[in-house]
Order: sequence, then structure tokens, then C-alpha cells
Amino acid sequence: MATDLSKLDPTRAWNAYEPGKSKPWTRRMAAHLYRRAGFGATSEQLDEAVKLGPAGTIKQLMNPKTDSGDTKEFKRFETEMELMTQTVMGGEESHQLAAWWLYRMVATPHQLLEKTTLFWHGHFATSADKVRDSDLMMRQNELLRKYALGKFEPLVQQMSRDAAMLYWLDSTTNRKARPNENYGRELMELFCLGEGNYTEKDIKEVARAFTGWELRRDRFKFNQYQHDDGLKSFLGSTGKFNGDDAVRIVLEQPAAPRFIATKLVRYFVSEEPPIPARLIEPIAKQLRQNSFDVGPVVQRILSSNLFFDSVGAKVRSPVELAIGLLRALEGRGNVTQLAGALGRLGQGVFYPPSVKGWDGGRTWIDSSTLLGRANMVRSIVTANNVRFKAGSLAAIADQAKVNQPDQLVDWLLELLVAVPLPDQSRTALIELASSGGGDRSEQIGRLIHAISAQPEFQLC
Amino acid sequence: MNTTRRRFMQTAAGSTALVSAPNFLLNLNAHAALDKQNNDNILVVVQLSGGNDGLNTVVPYGDDSYNKNRFTLRIAKQQVLKLNNYIGLHPAMTGMKELYDEGKLAILQGIGYPNPNRSHFASMDIWHTARLDAPEDTNPARRTGWIGRYLDGALSGKGLDVPALHLGSDRQPLAVVGQDVRVPSVQSLEGFKFQTGGDQKLAKAVKAANTVARPASNDLLNFMHRSTVTAMDSSKQVQDATRNYSTPVKYPGSGLAKKLKTVAQLIDAGLTTRVYYVTLGGFDTHANQQQAHFGLLKQLSDAVNAFMKDITHHGHNKRVLLMSFSEFGRRIKENASRGTDHGAAAPMFILGDPARSGIIGAHPSLTNTQQGDLKEHTDFRQVYASVLDEWLRFDSRKVLGRKFTRLDVLDT
Repeated sequence: MATDLSKLDPTRAWNAYEPGKSKPWTRRMAAHLYRRAGFGATSEQLDEAVKLGPAGTIKQLMNPKTDSGDTKEFKRFETEMELMTQTVMGGEESHQLAAWWLYRMVATPHQLLEKTTLFWHGHFATSADKVRDSDLMMRQNELLRKYALGKFEPLVQQMSRDAAMLYWLDSTTNRKARPNENYGRELMELFCLGEGNYTEKDIKEVARAFTGWELRRDRFKFNQYQHDDGLKSFLGSTGKFNGDDAVRIVLEQPAAPRFIATKLVRYFVSEEPPIPARLIEPIAKQLRQNSFDVGPVVQRILSSNLFFDSVGAKVRSPVELAIGLLRALEGRGNVTQLAGALGRLGQGVFYPPSVKGWDGGRTWIDSSTLLGRANMVRSIVTANNVRFKAGSLAAIADQAKVNQPDQLVDWLLELLVAVPLPDQSRTALIELASSGGGDRSEQIGRLIHAISAQPEFQLC
Repeated sequence: MNTTRRRFMQTAAGSTALVSAPNFLLNLNAHAALDKQNNDNILVVVQLSGGNDGLNTVVPYGDDSYNKNRFTLRIAKQQVLKLNNYIGLHPAMTGMKELYDEGKLAILQGIGYPNPNRSHFASMDIWHTARLDAPEDTNPARRTGWIGRYLDGALSGKGLDVPALHLGSDRQPLAVVGQDVRVPSVQSLEGFKFQTGGDQKLAKAVKAANTVARPASNDLLNFMHRSTVTAMDSSKQVQDATRNYSTPVKYPGSGLAKKLKTVAQLIDAGLTTRVYYVTLGGFDTHANQQQAHFGLLKQLSDAVNAFMKDITHHGHNKRVLLMSFSEFGRRIKENASRGTDHGAAAPMFILGDPARSGIIGAHPSLTNTQQGDLKEHTDFRQVYASVLDEWLRFDSRKVLGRKFTRLDVLDT
């Protein structure tokens, strides 16, 4: 981050950004907002955003249904997804799941909802590799989406009954004679509080509260005969608690809103350096005071000075990179292939590497994945199985009235890259744009490919 | 000029730079030299997935019970590649027999673990994690593999790039999953390349644009810049090294042979990678086993034979050890479909110049059995302990959680 976080005043940090001379509201700023709140914007969307201003654009990102008046687009999308969902559920192939979701990300009119659903997928990271049931994975995904921008407590309550989650954590039976500690542990360590905010004894007691929570025919069932109805003591409370009580008590801990606020800020603003607790506090407070309502907090984060100071402070995840490119160019391609490529780059959706989810940040990057990223971009912009809404890459540039090599390079950099390139690098790209070979679309594809092999392209 | 900038300029110029990039292969030679001071031994693991029929691999042809229980699948005395008057190798394994005769093959008999699990998934997990039970409080999603724990302990933070590589398009095996170290899965050398489709102008422009210094104040951008330059340079080095790679050894056309050839190329290119992991699947031979099993063993045997020849030709034979295992053996008695069902103890192979060639351990009894399966007399973790302590020179207790009696599997 360009800003020195240790000196930043929390109030100023979370106050809404107001465009001014030193930080004007530009296409570049709008592109930043779109990349973070969603995946990416088209050139046209950037123009609209500039007209709407930051607050108006954020409002639309938060709730595209009502504000942009494109209800029809929404209906069409939902019908299309409904059909795809049925195909995936009927199929045996669980990798089709990933393709289904990627398609959703590319095509949805509500980018922020998918982006936040992806956040929760990384948070409640469950892998189809172990669950091995598309139906259950899909149900969990719908649950994440339903509460993505809603209240956190009902999400945790539902998640504690979610079949995929219980399979994943081997908690499908939970007998009072032998309470299973897995869920209790992860509930506190990974889902709600973070390490250091509970004891081993708390885990054992919370596990007792969840006894009798089972699956029967892949549905949650409370088995009262296996429930330990004795007194339990954890996190400072004592009572004949059940699982719902446990979730409630865990979420009453002061660590809970801090933990969730920190993760949201990391996801939407910056992963490094760690955001000081002082800066997290206002967001945590808002969560605490508004019964963990996530949507308004996300809106506040996206509107803030800190957010608009964080351009280029994050490493793009493979999904952000690929979906961002496809959305910017309005391209639709073979999502099954894409799912495979993203898996090899370290982000197989529905296949997180462990219950901790993706570490993100610099861990996305090594030589293998850097080369893989550029190669993936090449396959997107040069493959003939990617269709662009405008017809071709040349047509997209035409619509934006971009002609000369330098205009073309600057337009692409603004559209696709958060951080400006050094002048000499830009010059090298302009030279490439001026050198012949292939038709105009091929030329543009080649230029995008060249840009994707620059360090700036990996940031967002 | 400040140091950051100087370091960066050197990298960009492709000279020997001391860059602390936590990524792939920077400066191959410097690292190779550094590593040599400690130990540059390499372990290649070949996983035979599905449960290899040990009895028809190392065949107790001299045992009546064998001939009785394998009424259609038995391998006739005349066909066995005899090792002594009791056991011999499957006739498809001429390549490995040759290695045996050259003193490069150790056959470890009767390997397994107590209370064998006959589920592929569970048993493979046990071999991968080197733990018989996941401790109660360990979330299964957080398990680590034995190689992963070795990498965490021995190499994490040393700045060695790619401490281990998994080759193939199969899912990454749990064995190489660590807490800190991430092991890349490489499908092919093709993928480890900036693809330009032969477009020279593009390659030149990318290089020119990448060579320009980035503002020193932006740490993340500088990290990304170093990583990009390293990736481009190292992929070029690997491509060059492997392009110029030639070998008089003719590898068979099989998938396993291709993977092992790639391993040989990478070893010769000077990678600091300590462990290579490849798999060969298809050993779950419940029905009509004969032909399928012949093909699999031939593939295995021919591929490792070619690999060993190649390694030897390029002079790496003293520092490469290959180990093969399967999650379990198969039942002594064949089933009604001319196949075999999931069993227990089975042989392992350790190959290479450093291997103590010969037969290690007795063949397990075919009459004194456990639920109709061969009993193990040696725990597979003893083999891991030997390899870790004596070959990779890392305290096996740190990986296995306790001390295991080592086996004499290496020449001393």
C-alpha cells in the first residue's frame, strides 16, 4: 500500500472517498472499484461509472437489480443459470461444478454478489474432492450466495447444518459418548474467532453442544438420543447449550467481529502489510452493532478513502485475473477448460487446498504460475473458441474509438491493468503495436498477451 | 545506487544475482553449488495406484500354496525371471531384472502396516501421511504428507526453489503436501514456458518491457517484477537445457517413461529439486488381471530401466534413488473373475546405484496369513525412515513422529 497505515487516522480511513484535485474520479479509479468489488468492467461501464460518480457506482454494484433498471437482464440470467444448474446436478462430473460457477461469474449482472460468495467459499472452504457430491456442493454454494451480503449469524447457523460441510469435516455423526471436535474447532479457529481466542477446553465443550447433530440421507437431523444435554462451560458461559447456542455464544465474543472485519478488509482492500487493529476497529464495531450485517460493511469498505488508496495493493487471484479479463472484453469461452487452467494456477473453485482456504497474496505467485497466467491469457485472446460480444477484439477497440498504436496501448492498460507501467515499458508495447503481422484482432490479442506477462498485470 | 536497485538491475541483466525471490529456480548454478555443500541427493517416488498384486510381481513360484491359490493367474516356473529357487520376477520385468543383475535393485519384501486398511483411499492416505490414524483432533483437511513434512523441516526458508515436483496431470498426492512448502505440479515441460507461438517480436517486446526498472518504493510490484524476470529467465534456461538435452537411451513410449524422461532432463538441467513424484495407475485388477498386469509391470520395468540408463549416461547415477510403492497388495487367492481383490503386505522396490541390491527380508508366508492376506513383517515407515535418515539426511523422527528401526537399503 502506498499509504503509511501506522499513521493513518481510522476515521479518515473509513470516511467515504470524495473526488478532488489530488484524487480525481477517473476511468482508472472506476476500473479499480470494479476489479475489487467484482471482477472487471467494460470500457463502456467505465464511462458510465465516471458519469455516476463513486457513490452512484457503488450503489449500483451493491444492488444492480433496482438501480440500473436492467431487471430483464437479471431474469434472463437466472433462467439461463437455472438450466445450467439442472445439467450440472444431473451430471456425475463434479468438475462441471467449477465450470458452472465460473460461467456465473462471467455472466452475472451482480458481480459483487459472486465476488463475495467467492470470499465465503474461501472462508468456509469445503472441497468437492472429499465431498464428492455435486448436489451437496451446489447446495452449499447457494447457501453462501444467499447470505453473502446478508447476516453472518444465520449463515453460520445454516453452515453448521450443511451436509457438504459436515462430510468435509467428518462430522456426519456426533455421538455423546464420543463428541467429534472437528467442527467445534474450526467453528472457532477458522470460521469465527481465529487462533488464540479460545482454549482446548472450549473446543471440547463446544463439541459436546453439537452432539446429536447428524446427517440422515444427506439432510441435517437432530438426534436427541445422541445429544449430551448436560451443562457445558465455554468462553465464559455455562448452560445446557446446544449447537445453536454455541454459535450464538461464539459470535458474542469480541474477537468475532474483529476476525470477520479483518478478513473482509484483507479481501477487498489489501493483504499486506497487515491492517493494524486500530484501523479494523470501526468496521468491527459496525458489524457488532448491526448484528453482523455484511452488506453495509462491504459498502462502507468499498466507499472508503483507504479503499481508493489501495490501487494495485493486492495480488490478483487466478479467478480474478481470468474472469476480469473476460468481463472487460465481454468474452465467453469454454469454462470447463478455464476451470482446469485455474486449478493448475492454484485456484480450483470448489477445490480449495484445505479447510483454511486460499492463502492468497504472494502465495499465488511462482515461476510456474506466472508463466501459466500469461499462457492462459494467450489462450483466451487468441483461441477461436472465445466469442466476444462485440464480435472481435478489433470491434471492441472500434467501439471505444481507439485507433493509433499509442491510443490502443493506453486504452488497454487503463482497462486491464491497475498500476501504470514505466514509460519505457509502455514504449516497448507501442512498438509492438506498430509492428505488423496478422489482422487487427490478432494484433490486439498479441498486445494483451504481452501486457499479461508484465508484473503490473498480476496486481489489482 | 541503493542495494535494492542494484540487485534488481543485475537480475534484469540476467547475471548472477542474489535475489531472495521465493520462487522458481533462480540462478540454477549458484543454488546447485550451495546445496551440494549439504547433500544433493535426489529421491524419485513412483506410486503404483490401485494396489499392485505383489504376489505376481515378486513371484514365490517355488511355493505350492502360490500355485494352488493362483489357479489361473499363476506364473509358470519356466516363465518367471528367477532370483533364487523360491522367488522370481514377473516375466514382463526384464528391465528390472537387468537392474537386479547389475546390482541396482533392492527388493523389499513383506512391507505393510498393522491392521491393514483395504480401502484404496484410506490406505493411500496412510502411506501418504505415514500415520496409521489421523489423531482425533486433526482435521482431515489439514493433513500433511511425509514428504511435505520433510520439505517443511529441511528446506523451508532456505530459498531453494521447487524443493519437490509432482509430474503429471493427476491430482497432487497428499504425500507432498506440507504446511509451509508448496509443491508445484507440472504437467509437462511445455507448460513451463512462455508460449509465443514463435512470435519473435512479441518475445522481444515482452523482454524489453520487463527489463525496465520498477519504482523501488513499491515493494509488492518489485516482488512481482523479480518473480517475472526469474520466471522468464529460468523457463528459458530449462527450455535451453532440455532442448539441448540428448540421450542415447531410447525410452519406451509409455506415459510413465515420458514422465521419468522429464525427471531425468530436469535433474540434468541442474534443478535443486530434491524429490520428484510420479504415479502409474491402473493396478486395481479385480477382473481379467493377466494381460493388464503384464502391461503395467512392463511399463514400470521398461521405464525405470531406461531412466536408470539415462541417469547413468549423464553421470547422476550416484545421487539418484528411485522408490516404488503401492497402497496395498492383493489377496493370496484369486477371485472368480480371474482377478484379485484388495489385500495387504506387498514388496517395495528401491532402485539405483546407491541401493543395496538384493532381496531384503523374507517372503511373507502364504499359509500363516491374516484374513487370507499376506502378513507384513516390516513397517513401511521403516523404509521411509531409512530413506529420510540415510539418503535425504533428515532426522526421520521429525517426519514420522517417532523412531523407526531402519532397514539396510543403501550401499555403504
